[in-house]
Parts: sequence; structure tokens; C-alpha cells
Amino acid sequence: MADVFSGLVALADPGLLILLVIASIGGVIIGALPGLNATTGAALLLPFTLTMEPIPAIAMLTAIYCSATFAGAITAILINTPGTAASATTCLDGYPLAQRGEAGRALGMAVISSTTGGIISVICLMLAAPLLAEAAYHFAPPEYFALTLFGLSMLAGIGDGSPIKNLMAGALGIFIATIGVDNLTTVERFTFGSYELYDGIGFVPVLIGVFGISELLVQASNLHQVRDAVRMKAVRLPTREDLQKTWRTILRSSGIGTFIGILPAEGATVASMIGYNEAKRWSRNPEEFGKGAIDGVAGSEAANNAATGGAMVPTLALGIPGSATAAVILAGLMVHGLQPGPAMFTEQSNFAFAIFWSMMFVNLLFLVIGLGGAKLFARVTLIPTQILWPSVFVFSIVGAYALDQSMFDVWVALVAGVLGFFMRRYGFSVVPLAIGLILGGMLEKRLGQSMVMLDEQWWMMFTRPLTLFFFLLTALALFGPPLWGRMFKQREPMKSTGE
Amino acid sequence: MASTSKARKFQLERWLVPVLIIGFCAAAYAVSTTFKTMPPILKRGIQPADFPQLLLICLVLLTGLMIWLDPVQVRDRIQGTVWGTMAMMGVFAALAGIDLFLALGVFAASLAAFWGERRGGMLALVGLIVPASIFFFFDGVFEIRFPRGLLTNLWYG
Repeated sequence: MADVFSGLVALADPGLLILLVIASIGGVIIGALPGLNATTGAALLLPFTLTMEPIPAIAMLTAIYCSATFAGAITAILINTPGTAASATTCLDGYPLAQRGEAGRALGMAVISSTTGGIISVICLMLAAPLLAEAAYHFAPPEYFALTLFGLSMLAGIGDGSPIKNLMAGALGIFIATIGVDNLTTVERFTFGSYELYDGIGFVPVLIGVFGISELLVQASNLHQVRDAVRMKAVRLPTREDLQKTWRTILRSSGIGTFIGILPAEGATVASMIGYNEAKRWSRNPEEFGKGAIDGVAGSEAANNAATGGAMVPTLALGIPGSATAAVILAGLMVHGLQPGPAMFTEQSNFAFAIFWSMMFVNLLFLVIGLGGAKLFARVTLIPTQILWPSVFVFSIVGAYALDQSMFDVWVALVAGVLGFFMRRYGFSVVPLAIGLILGGMLEKRLGQSMVMLDEQWWMMFTRPLTLFFFLLTALALFGPPLWGRMFKQREPMKSTGE
Repeated sequence: MASTSKARKFQLERWLVPVLIIGFCAAAYAVSTTFKTMPPILKRGIQPADFPQLLLICLVLLTGLMIWLDPVQVRDRIQGTVWGTMAMMGVFAALAGIDLFLALGVFAASLAAFWGERRGGMLALVGLIVPASIFFFFDGVFEIRFPRGLLTNLWYG
């Protein structure tokens, strides 16, 4: 309990509070800009945190994560373009509401749902992360290896790619992580005698490339798109009637979002889809969904914001990212020399709880920023693409250079950007590539340690109950969805023929 | 006639992607066979080549599955603006050898113009003010030393 309040003391620093306000406003702007999202924003701003102390640095990244996820709703409601993928379901009812002249009501509901979802998930994070870390404290390398493998297997269902292509992208990311001097044996691998490759390929320039520069190339394909903004008078708080109608949906979606967020690699996008579907399923008027149902906005927004807190649970307690943005935050922790995992809650509990309280503060800030400034932030969508993206490129290149002050990292970011563009074109999500790259080194290290521990008898891993449990979960994550898909496909024709 | 050649091009891309992946895996596997082998006492569980080789085999197997279950589908051509932007990135890389910020300024202004911006003030904003402010911000606040070049030498002396 003392740890919980020691973290709160960090928030007494006015400098940190000001930084969180600035980061939250920056996050809202990033989330409101179509094309930019929480992951890209965190990846681009990661080099900014280099000279900071770990608490403000990671608090800033989490503030961007929370606020950008919330801000996706602004563009979703006003211009029918989700600022982030997690707000795609908000468009379904938010935009019809806006077209009916109720944009302020929709945004007000988005603010209240996001704040509630975010706060509930941070409370769960405070309770669940230390418990999970305590359980993981007794893990040996084989358990960690199996757990990391499970986390990577969850990549199959992430992002917009197909499961096979996601796994391929993840495997490529892990492969890229093997470049450089092998930490276990000091043997050079794929360095081709190049000095720059001795330390491997840094994940920060790759993240900047695949999220930032590849998006610039995607934007180059969408220059003809025209967006129609809906006029809005002011954001207003939901009425008592609205709250009576939606409080169950908000609470349910907050629970769903937190749970989905805790699952490795499943982030706000999946949470918002399930939150929205469940809101529709439980609604007394499901036929209103898609035509401007206020519960639709509440279900989607509460779930996607709740997923941010949930995603931080495995990220901090186990070192397995709960979402793409959490993977960038994990990279930030590593860059600052922090090792996420059980030790974080015993040796650096002050740090962990300071981050939790920062997230709580940022979620409360939504009320002020969302209700007071949404109309103003909606105007950032008017920044022309031809001005925004060249500036993002300058920022990306300087950010890639800044970490190690190396031009090699600039070339890595450029190559990663082009690679990311072609991956996206051919249906591969870049998120698994990034997560694979971040977790690749850990996976190989754990495998090596397990082999030493088990006298190179790898099959002995299956005799350890927890390891076997994680392997079974991995198999379920990999083969479950296609099997269920086939089962449902077989049942549907039977239903239609009346059998 | 045009639609036939378009369909043929898309068919080519459909097969080109798996071929490139398998080719990459084969080349990387060949390189991995040249890694040093550690004596049993030093190998720490696995040989340095084992893990990358395992990954490459997985990648080839997944590529096979992809061809069978989920082939690459291409619906539209890459637009001229994308090729143009990539070409500009090439010019940026060439100019960066002279000066990083000169290259950034030229790239940003040219890209804005290429994407349709015609207002002089806006071009000056992205080509001059944005790179300059980012340079001074990183140099002053984060004390980042940028590579010396034609323009940065004016500041560094």
C-alpha cells in the first residue's frame, strides 16, 4: 500500500504535471490528425525522452498513448475518419449523430466514456500488475520462453493483416533482432564486417520507419481524398437520460477493454470492436446502431480507452507488450535501461506506481481537454496533408538520428519505411514486425538459458506444468481461430438448410 | 487490352512476393552457415546459427502456407505520387552527404510542392522554418550534435 502512495508523491512535482498536460495536448493533436496515431506519435517522440529522467520520460509516452487513443474519436465523429484504428467503430454512430446536428452530444459522451474506461483500467492496472508480477517472480527461463512465445503467437490476430502474414511479419522482426553480435557467444551474425551492425539494428529507427515514414508513403497514395467536416456548436456533457441509457454499456465496455488490453498484443482496436458489438447485443434497440445510437459511441470509446491501462499490465509486469503502442513504451523502458518484469515491482515499485498515477491524471485531464478543447482540436484536421507530412518526415529523420547520433540509423529508418510501405501494400501488418524486433532478443536469450538449464534436452520443457500451459495457450492462439472459423462455416450451411 | 496487362502485372506481384521472401531466406540461411561454431563448453545451450536458421525455416514454411491459404492480393497500382515520393527520398539520401539539414529542407519543400502546395509562405514554413526550429530545438535542449555539413558548419563553426 505504501508503494501505491509513494508513486503518487511523484505527481507532486509541478514539472511532471506540466509535462503531462503538454504531452496530453500533444497526444490529442496526434490522435486527431488522420494518419497519425498513438503508436506513431510515441515512436516519433521516443527520442525526445532521451535526456529525461525515466519517470517523466515514460509518463510522457503513456500520456500520449492515452490521449491519442481518446482523440481518435474527435475526427471519427466530426469528419467520419477515425484518427486512430481504435476509433473506427466510433464512426459508425458518432458521424450519423454529428450529421443530425448532435456532434456536441456525441463528443460529450465520448469524453465521459473514455474517462470512465481509462480510470477503471488504471485501477485494474494498479491491482493486477503487482499480482501478475508476483506470480511471475517464480518463473524460470523455460517459463519465460514459453510466455514470450505465447505473446508472439497472439500477434496472429493483431492489426489489419491476416494471421499467417502477421506471423511472417513477427518472424521477420525476430530475425532482424538476431543481426549483430550474439550476446550469448559473442559471435558476429549477419554483420558483413560492418561496424554499424555490431550492436544490431536499433528498434527506435525501425519503429520510426515502419510507423512514421511508411505512413507518409501511404498518405502519398491518398492525396485525392477530400474530408467533409461537420459543424459543431460546442461539446456538451451527456444528459441524465443519456447517462441512464448508457452507464451499463460504459461499465461493460470498460471491463471488456481492460481484459482485452491485458491479453498480449491485443490492443484498443480489438477492444473497441468487441465493446461496440457487445453494446449492440445488449441494447434494447439494436436496430438504432449504425444510425446514430449514443450507446454505440459509449461502447466503443469506453472499451478502447480501457484497453490502454489493460495493455500496460503485461508490458510492465512481464515485459510482453499488450499492444503496438505498449511495445513502443517497452522500447522506451529498455532505452532508459529499465527492465520490465517482476523486479520492477520489487526494486522499482516507486517508478511503476508513478506511471500508474500519471495515467490516472491523464485520464482525468480528458474531461478538461475533451470538454473544453475538442472544438479547437478538431481544427487540426484542417492542416493540409502537404504541409503536415513533410514536417513529420523532418521530425522522423531527426528523431532516428538523435538516439545514437548516427547517420546509419537514418538509413535504417528510411529502409524500414519503404519496407513497411510494401508490407502494408501486400497485406502484412507492420505491428508484428515491431513487436517481434523488440521481443526477439529476449526470446533467444530465454531459449539459450532454458537449453543450458535443461542440459540441452528441449523436450524437458514440456514436463514443466506452467511451460506446458503456455505452450498450450500458444497452440490455441495459433490454431484455435482457423479451427473455429471452419467449424462455424460448416454449421452455417447446416442452419440454412434447416438441419 | 489494358485490363489484361494490369491483371498480368498483379499476377506477377502475387508470385513475386513469396519468391522474394523465399530467396531472402535462402540467402540468409546460406550466410548463417558461415557463422562460427562454438565448442560444446562455450555454446551456452544453442549454436549462434541455430536460432536464425530456425526462424528462416519457419518463414519459408509460413510462406508456403501463405501461397496456399492466403495469397497476396493486389487491387490497385502504386500511384505516381508514391514513386515520386520514394525518388525524392533517394535525392534526400544523396543530399544528406552534403548536409543533413539542407537535405531535409530541400526534401520537405519539394515534397510539399510535389503534393500540390503552391503558397510560397507554406513552402518556406516546411522547407525552412520547420527544419531550422527542429535543429535548434534538438541542438539547444537535447544537446544533440548533428553531422557537420555545408549549413551546420555555419552554426558549429
